[in-house]
Amino acid sequence: MGKSKAGLLQGTLDMLILKALSLGPLHGYGVGQRIAQISDDTLKIEEGSLYPGLYRLEQRGWVESEWDVSDNNQRAKFYKLTRAGRKQLILEEQNWERLAGATMKALRAN
Amino acid sequence: MSRIKPTVDFIHAWQHPDEIADEVEEELRFHVQKRTQANIEEGMTPDEARVAAQQSFGDFERVKVDCVEIKRGFPFNLKALRMGLYIAIACLAGGVALVAVNLPHDNLLGVLWQLAAIAVLMCAFLIGRRKNR
Repeated sequence: MGKSKAGLLQGTLDMLILKALSLGPLHGYGVGQRIAQISDDTLKIEEGSLYPGLYRLEQRGWVESEWDVSDNNQRAKFYKLTRAGRKQLILEEQNWERLAGATMKALRAN
Repeated sequence: MSRIKPTVDFIHAWQHPDEIADEVEEELRFHVQKRTQANIEEGMTPDEARVAAQQSFGDFERVKVDCVEIKRGFPFNLKALRMGLYIAIACLAGGVALVAVNLPHDNLLGVLWQLAAIAVLMCAFLIGRRKNR
């Protein structure tokens, strides 16, 4: 059976970006790649929407960025999770698990 | 501590708007280049790879404008700040009301002072309550 590409729910993008960055610093392109990789290519981020998401998270103090040199010696902006971002990720994971659990319970109801 | 950098960035974004726009553009262009390279490695011709990269990125200018606007956005919770402002106004009005109460009431100015202070106090309370519903 072919894999269907799941559309991203509003609000889950922030959590996925935080999760991707919890595994190590990345540039924007790398964040998209990592999300695809850890979701086994099921979740594909709309590439343009990734950046407003990253900027919002940076503004909230959950990620921080700095310019560095990428693997092909090009200047690139790298993002990393802050301590506040790590706490936020834990909160969002808990909320998501609660919501997913409740939804599954509702779907299994007779 | 995590609020310091966003605040510094916010001030910097207002002082150097062109620099911020250039920086955002450089970052987005890097993404499109990386995607183009990946498409070439998957077997596309350079032209096909570039077009496909632009398509998968979406509206470049729109994303750039959105990012610059976020960068220039106020990095604090406006609701909390507004509540703080109402509390400050209410405290100030309360203080003025206390002073006004101690003014002699036998002249019109003293009574007006008192009424104005009470009116400001009431307005601050009502606006604060309505905004936080």
